[in-house]
Amino acid sequence: MKALDIALKDMTRSFRSAFAVIFMFGIPLLVTGMFYFMFGNIASGGEFNLPKTKVVIANLDEGGPKFQVSTKNIPGGGDADTMGELVVAGLQSEEMANLIEVSFARGAEAARAAVDRQEAQVAIIIPADFSRQFADLDGKAVIEFYQDPTLTIGPGIIRLILNRFMDGMSGVKIAVNVFLDEADTQAYALAGQVVRQYLDISLAQTENLEEVLLDVRAPASAPANDSAESPNLLLRIVSPIMGGMLVFYAFFTGTSTAQSILKEEEERTLPRLFTTPTPQATILSGKFLAVFLTVLVQVVVLLVAARLIFGIQWGDFLPAALTAVGTVFSASSFGIFVNSFLKNTRQGGVLFGGVLTMTGMIGMIGIFAMNSPAAARLGDTVSLLVPQGWAVHGLLQAMNGQPVTSVLTTALVMLAWSATFFAIGVWRFNKRYA
Amino acid sequence: MNNSPTIEVLNLHRSFGETKAVQGVSFEVRPGEIFSLLGPNGAGKTTIISMLCCLLRPNEGDARVMGHSIRSDPLDVKSVLGVVPQDIALYEDLTARENLTFWGKMYGLRGAALKARVNEMLDIIGLRDRANERVGKYSGGMKRRVNIGVALLHKPKVIYLDEPTVGIDPQSRRNILDSVVALKNEGMTVLYTSHYMEEAQELSDHIAIMDHGKLIACGTHEELVKLVGQRTRIDLTLNVEASRVLGSWQTVEGVARVSAEEGTISVLVEDSNRVLPRLFEAATRLSARITSVDIREPNLEAVFLHLTGRALRD
Repeated sequence: MKALDIALKDMTRSFRSAFAVIFMFGIPLLVTGMFYFMFGNIASGGEFNLPKTKVVIANLDEGGPKFQVSTKNIPGGGDADTMGELVVAGLQSEEMANLIEVSFARGAEAARAAVDRQEAQVAIIIPADFSRQFADLDGKAVIEFYQDPTLTIGPGIIRLILNRFMDGMSGVKIAVNVFLDEADTQAYALAGQVVRQYLDISLAQTENLEEVLLDVRAPASAPANDSAESPNLLLRIVSPIMGGMLVFYAFFTGTSTAQSILKEEEERTLPRLFTTPTPQATILSGKFLAVFLTVLVQVVVLLVAARLIFGIQWGDFLPAALTAVGTVFSASSFGIFVNSFLKNTRQGGVLFGGVLTMTGMIGMIGIFAMNSPAAARLGDTVSLLVPQGWAVHGLLQAMNGQPVTSVLTTALVMLAWSATFFAIGVWRFNKRYA
Repeated sequence: MNNSPTIEVLNLHRSFGETKAVQGVSFEVRPGEIFSLLGPNGAGKTTIISMLCCLLRPNEGDARVMGHSIRSDPLDVKSVLGVVPQDIALYEDLTARENLTFWGKMYGLRGAALKARVNEMLDIIGLRDRANERVGKYSGGMKRRVNIGVALLHKPKVIYLDEPTVGIDPQSRRNILDSVVALKNEGMTVLYTSHYMEEAQELSDHIAIMDHGKLIACGTHEELVKLVGQRTRIDLTLNVEASRVLGSWQTVEGVARVSAEEGTISVLVEDSNRVLPRLFEAATRLSARITSVDIREPNLEAVFLHLTGRALRD
């Protein structure tokens, strides 16, 4: 009972300190909020607005044998008399409007010159025999793709669109060849229907081009479930950051709250506590309990606040709870452990500036390296050298919907860290006040 | 009435590395008395108090508080003790009421009894109307009052006050000294440490003088003064030359010695009450008028000087 009294007293003191409250709750949410607004343009519905790529098209196609192709499923729709017009219609479709800004050049040289003058980023030159080559069973239909060599993303997207389009067309050509080889002459009249069906299916696959084009990975690890239920792009970016902030500041709180033992020693209230009929073990237990409960309150508040403010999905209850408990234990025991090596609170500056910041940053390396899969893998490995890394790892596992058994393993490792830290910290403090 | 000692200190020793802080100290404190440990800084007073509070374990010897050994029954010792530490030991970010409530719990008080005692203590220390203000906003004197109040919450039989008047204004000091006397009048046994000999002289029934970790004298104020055998010194000034009365005053009954320096005549006497009227008579006969008189009773300062060869405040 006295241990709880001591813990509640310490918590009252902690939560009365505006500085402590800001550090515990304000800073982690604020930092996450900064990232949230930094990526704010993808906030609404998770859409990602790349700048439009300027494309200049020189359609020189003179046409060839016509297929009766329905263009209802071809992006852009409308009738196309030549294959070249079909390509142009696709690039000018509404679906492409957010990605491409199309203009036209009279000839190939003019189109290339537009790119050279940086008036466009890509020139697409459709040759005069494009339709004829396409219609010729042995012919080779080629589109010239001329791009600004200093650019990668915009031209890459256009190239991908064209590749998809051309793949579809090649499929049609193969289908027609096979049909003509196999069918008897009476069935030749059905060739147009075959083409139409194949083209419809092929092109329909490219309807949602933005989804096809933007293969955005979740940081640190690939998302386990890429279904419609998975969080949108903004949350994929912000969630690990919030998780990292939660862990980083939970360890700060654990250490600063545990420092109250040294602070009370300097304020002379600890020696006075020892003059009361309260066993030393009870007093130290109360101090340790205060550290644990303070970090617990912080973690729970941050989990709930992040869910309510940013809509962050922490995963299923059990894995998230396991990780949260592991984080609370490891952060509080780490604080007790580190403080047991300090002589006074003045040394705390070095502790906060050095040990905590360093280990905290190492623990979040995987998050910082999220844009590079190779670096992220290395970062994940390095981060597991510190307890913060395991806590971050556990949170990401829970968020990515990994099974309870995987999260449980991580939580057990965290508890092992905690038991070691706690045992050493308690031993040193008991020795100090014996 | 049980007259067995409330505190019995038996040959206590305590060293810190090579430094011998307390060396074989023994004394007894009787029930309901104020017992002062007097000595300069570093004499070992606080170390003895720390051992009697069970904060420090003696290297040798033992002490009994209300019959409980500081070695074998530290929790029993602590439960009958109230300790007022030298420094203010309060939580400045908690209110006076919250401080008293918390410390009351640490002494085992709970529920309605705790609440009632906290209110009672706030009345005693005169802070009922400011009970819900944070202690950090209090003046030094108010903090001192709360500091003492904490030690009295559980109605202890014995209270230790470790230099409670260090660094405070005269008014607060006066209040604390009056409080100590009030505690004695309530039947509490008080162990008081100080390096101010006036305080020890004013308050104490018994005084133990310490130096360099050793107890060098112990007794009542009178016993200590007699130990030294000092006489009262009377310093006088006249409206005439000192030489005019010197010879006459040397023959006055009860005068041990007369000397003059820079216009002030110092007369050593056994009993100033009896001798002083005779000095006035002798001066009148010689047409001299006494313009000032300063009587200096033998004091603990002189005792300490006599025993150690050093002034108490060295």
